[in-house]
Amino acid sequence: MTTTEATSAVVKVLAPYIGDTMARSATQAHCQKLGIAVSSPLRPDQLESLLGRLGAGLNIFLGREKSASVIGEVRQALAALEGAR
Amino acid sequence: MSAAGRLPWVVIGLAVALYVGWAIVPASSLYTEWLNGHRLLAIAAAFKLVYLLAGSAWAFACRDRLEPGNPARPAWFLLSLGLLATFAGQLCLAPFQLVFGETPFPSPGDIFYVLAYPFLIAALLVFLNAYREAGLPMGSLAERLILVAFVAAVAVVILRPVAATPGPLLDRILTIAYPALDLVLLVPLVLLLRMALRLRGGNVGEVWLLLLTGFVFMCAGDICFAYFQSLGEEHLDPFVHATFMLAYALVAGGAHRQLRILKS
Repeated sequence: MTTTEATSAVVKVLAPYIGDTMARSATQAHCQKLGIAVSSPLRPDQLESLLGRLGAGLNIFLGREKSASVIGEVRQALAALEGAR
Repeated sequence: MSAAGRLPWVVIGLAVALYVGWAIVPASSLYTEWLNGHRLLAIAAAFKLVYLLAGSAWAFACRDRLEPGNPARPAWFLLSLGLLATFAGQLCLAPFQLVFGETPFPSPGDIFYVLAYPFLIAALLVFLNAYREAGLPMGSLAERLILVAFVAAVAVVILRPVAATPGPLLDRILTIAYPALDLVLLVPLVLLLRMALRLRGGNVGEVWLLLLTGFVFMCAGDICFAYFQSLGEEHLDPFVHATFMLAYALVAGGAHRQLRILKS
């Protein structure tokens, strides 16, 4: 799965909570900070770092439990995307 | 939004319309025969007390729902204290408004109204810091300095006529203090509004839209109050009541919305 595909899946899950604009810009900003290239395949360790950072950000808005549940939804969406390939 | 969820907004919408109507057509039979100044003042006092207490309780419940160590937790606590101090100020005025149909100024309530500002300003600053730490875009230092300079320029324009008005020293200090403190509040408010616009379309965006719009109305209410008080335009006070009722309802609504998210 490429970073672009993963970003789309992440944004789709996060948008109902933090809006499409913030979901996209936060995901892209974290990818940039982690040195994840947009078009390259996303490695499992990079994905974990990205989800960790997104979860920490969501934590402030949603609290730890809800944030963990939303990151769980993201994992499911990414697993479904991987399974569909 | 469900019908039950819409009801409080319909009620506050009607209440605001009632007070705006009072300012525009005070001679209408609605305001001379059915309702009078005393009753309208009492209704406004009750509305404000209910929304302030509810807002304070919901903000505290948000603080309670967030785990220790969450950077937003102290911000919700400070917001709760700010609303509680405002509630205490309103409570001091309530006997005068409910029994005598008058609003003394200055009054012991002003101690609590002024006390609320450090809590509210600190709450917004802590929110701002929490979101910046989370990596959300909050603007560069240059942008923030430009904003501070702009607010300072606005402060000079707004405060000059209020400061130039003669009157007892305490009255003058308070009529300047309220808009001045609002302008301080405006700096983190504008930075948070920028962030809230990026959250639009999401549940959290609704929370911030409600909270920040409430704060904007609170600032507007204070500035209008200072002008009407110092320029002797007290007949426009119904606008001030409408603005504060809307402000407190919006802030309480934002805290309630956040609590629902945390509970979901």
